[in-house]
Amino acid sequence: MSSDRLRISGATKTYPGIVALDDVTFAVAPGEVHGLLGENGAGKSTMLNILSGVRPGDKGSIAVDGATIPIRTPLDARAAGIAMIHQELQLVPELTVAQNIFLGRPMTGFGGTIVKRHEQERRARAVLADLDPTIDPSVKINTLKVAQQQIVEIARALIDEAKVIAMDEPTSSLTPAEFENLASLIAALSARGVSVIYVSHKMDEVFQVCQRATILRDGKLVGVVDIANETEDTIVAKMVGREVLHATHVSHATMTPVLTVEGLSRADVVMDANLTLHAGEVLGISGLVGAGRTELLRLIAGIDRPTAGAVKVNGEPVRSHDPRAAIRAGIGLVPEERKREGIVHARSVASNMALPKMDNYTNAGLLRHGHLHKRAESVMTDLRLRPLNVRQPIGTFSGGNQQKAIIGRWLAASTNIFLFDEPTRGIDVGAKSEIYNLIERLASEGNAILVVSSEMPEIMRLSDRVLVMREGRIVADLASEKITEEEIAYHAIPRKEQITA
Amino acid sequence: MIEGPPVKPAPPFNMKFNLRDAGTLFGLILIVVVFASLTPVFLTAPNLINILQQSSINAAIALGMTLVIISGGIDLSVGPTAALSAVISASLMVAGVPIPLAIVASLGVGMMCGLFNGVLVAYAGLQPFIVTLGGLSLYRALSLIYTGGNPIFGIPPEFRALTNGDLMGVPNPVIIVGIIALILWVVLNKTPLGEYILAVGGNEEAARIAGVPVARTKVATFVISGCLASVAALILVGRLGAAEPTIGNLWELDAIAAAAIGGASLMGGKGSIVGTLIGAIILGALRNGLTLMNVQAFYQLLATGIIIIVAMLIDRATRGR
Repeated sequence: MSSDRLRISGATKTYPGIVALDDVTFAVAPGEVHGLLGENGAGKSTMLNILSGVRPGDKGSIAVDGATIPIRTPLDARAAGIAMIHQELQLVPELTVAQNIFLGRPMTGFGGTIVKRHEQERRARAVLADLDPTIDPSVKINTLKVAQQQIVEIARALIDEAKVIAMDEPTSSLTPAEFENLASLIAALSARGVSVIYVSHKMDEVFQVCQRATILRDGKLVGVVDIANETEDTIVAKMVGREVLHATHVSHATMTPVLTVEGLSRADVVMDANLTLHAGEVLGISGLVGAGRTELLRLIAGIDRPTAGAVKVNGEPVRSHDPRAAIRAGIGLVPEERKREGIVHARSVASNMALPKMDNYTNAGLLRHGHLHKRAESVMTDLRLRPLNVRQPIGTFSGGNQQKAIIGRWLAASTNIFLFDEPTRGIDVGAKSEIYNLIERLASEGNAILVVSSEMPEIMRLSDRVLVMREGRIVADLASEKITEEEIAYHAIPRKEQITA
Repeated sequence: MIEGPPVKPAPPFNMKFNLRDAGTLFGLILIVVVFASLTPVFLTAPNLINILQQSSINAAIALGMTLVIISGGIDLSVGPTAALSAVISASLMVAGVPIPLAIVASLGVGMMCGLFNGVLVAYAGLQPFIVTLGGLSLYRALSLIYTGGNPIFGIPPEFRALTNGDLMGVPNPVIIVGIIALILWVVLNKTPLGEYILAVGGNEEAARIAGVPVARTKVATFVISGCLASVAALILVGRLGAAEPTIGNLWELDAIAAAAIGGASLMGGKGSIVGTLIGAIILGALRNGLTLMNVQAFYQLLATGIIIIVAMLIDRATRGR
């Protein structure tokens, strides 16, 4: 198999108590787009870390174009022609595009003392011309959109003359249109003979861009598949190790309004939002990234200051820009970015759970830890937290279990209006259906639920009704029989005449 | 995907004596053993008590600093806060104001300084480093202006008896700091405020979304820090029998050092009352031991710097990564 562009043989990596990767062989052909698939914990990250020299493996060898190359550091990987594009982009916001592209190995003159900025910008422009000619190499990174920043990273890899580019969840913050653009870029890279390793949870993307895929489960190789011979279900079954059942939607919506939002606005981010949410109802909010969905939830939860409008719970106005007032009114936000906005990493599940209503667990001003832990255990048992240890720091749990703990936080705080922002972002396929079941259960118990999601199947699976947001406004209110992908997309995508209007 | 270190069972919440504190204690024992073998006087009861007494001022400051640091802030203004509170309480006492009232006034001054810092940080959204850097100049200037730069003499002996006395051989300042440490331990580990401080320092945005009163929590840490600066000032005024407007120079650095040695992370979210207490004693023991060995002040400073850096390196190495 000397025709492999990249071949990792017998890769093994153990951490204390865990075999993260167990004798896995992974090979990529020249110009191939190869998916690396598996649930969280399957060993994808470990594989990428070995490849990029961030955390070398315990055993195994790496060969590029048939020549075995030891990769012990990120510099080794770069020298071997392996480039990584991380989920969180590795760019310096205050530097220019060109400076970022040449970061760490600038083009210099005068014996390495002077950086040739113009020369850098000229070369950067030449490379970017093929990728996205609208990117000016002399502007600062922070003036670019995320999709463009990603292209800058690809340009950096190309200037490095990378033979293999590994992309870790590259579309996590891209719009569908931006994904299409990325997909054609990947095709162009592939045509130039650059191999791409594509790591993603999103099956539709994998099917669009990849030719083959390597599937991992629990650190072991499950198999290498030709995408053309597979369906989403067969691949997911291989990842999870069992069939994943598709449930059908059951509505628990009542006619009792619980939450009303009247003319809620924040500058040009959210404009004149009106909605009514009923007990037992799951109201989906769809739209493109940047349409103002997250911002709307944050306004309702009292996190940001609105410029106009009101939020009412059971007819009573809720003080704006005051998260505690919203919580007292029964509103709880399960945020999209769990790490940044959801959890206090080093604190226990119980502590994280108790934060909104700490006074429930005190006696004469002192915390009753025994009482708190018992309550946490009962809530988390109900949510099937795994492992069921509420004293353990929440940061040590998997994404799905962290999400359950955050949901538990609001259950314990007697919340009855749940705001979910991308509830399954970064969560395993297996844990996903658990979160769905939970949301459905919350609705069946009479709670009112808002779900923002960019994943169409998720919106369609969960929602009784769907609002579509476009450019800060709610532009459609679709009843259950009208919820189709086409209908949602029709309203979500901005059209020229509307932009100019 | 491996996220973070492998899962290990957490110790029970109540009365946990964590590994990091054990490490700090081990450092202290090491220093004691070294000095005990170098100078016989070191390991005698009077000298050990002496160390505790010498450490008490820094410990008081460092305990308040610890809460501020855990919440993600820093308080550089503790020294001048102490000076301002010292000169005001001293002038009150000299003017014949009853001692308890003067003490209350002193604590009040410290808390006001802390409130000023805290409000600017929590409500105006300024960075703690800059706000308290401003406070550092401001409070120093106020105490110099208030006294015209002159020390205030004539502290009533009744007050001096209070801070220079002892209870069954244990000096009062040591007892006072011990009680403060106990209270703060309870605050940090047993009250909602403690949970809030840890949550705000651990992840401010998540804390806010979870309904933690972030601003009030931050203000509380600065007020506590200011109050404890006043306690330190009172101990010093009693010991010296005078209040100088220039006291407290560089106290903030010793306090930060003690907190850091004790395991506080300047990134916030992490720190220990017990650790800070031991950290302050480590610094005190070091200075005491070196003085007993007749090491020049310049070299003492050198040793302090080395200890701080070595402690941080060990901390880094043992935490892995």
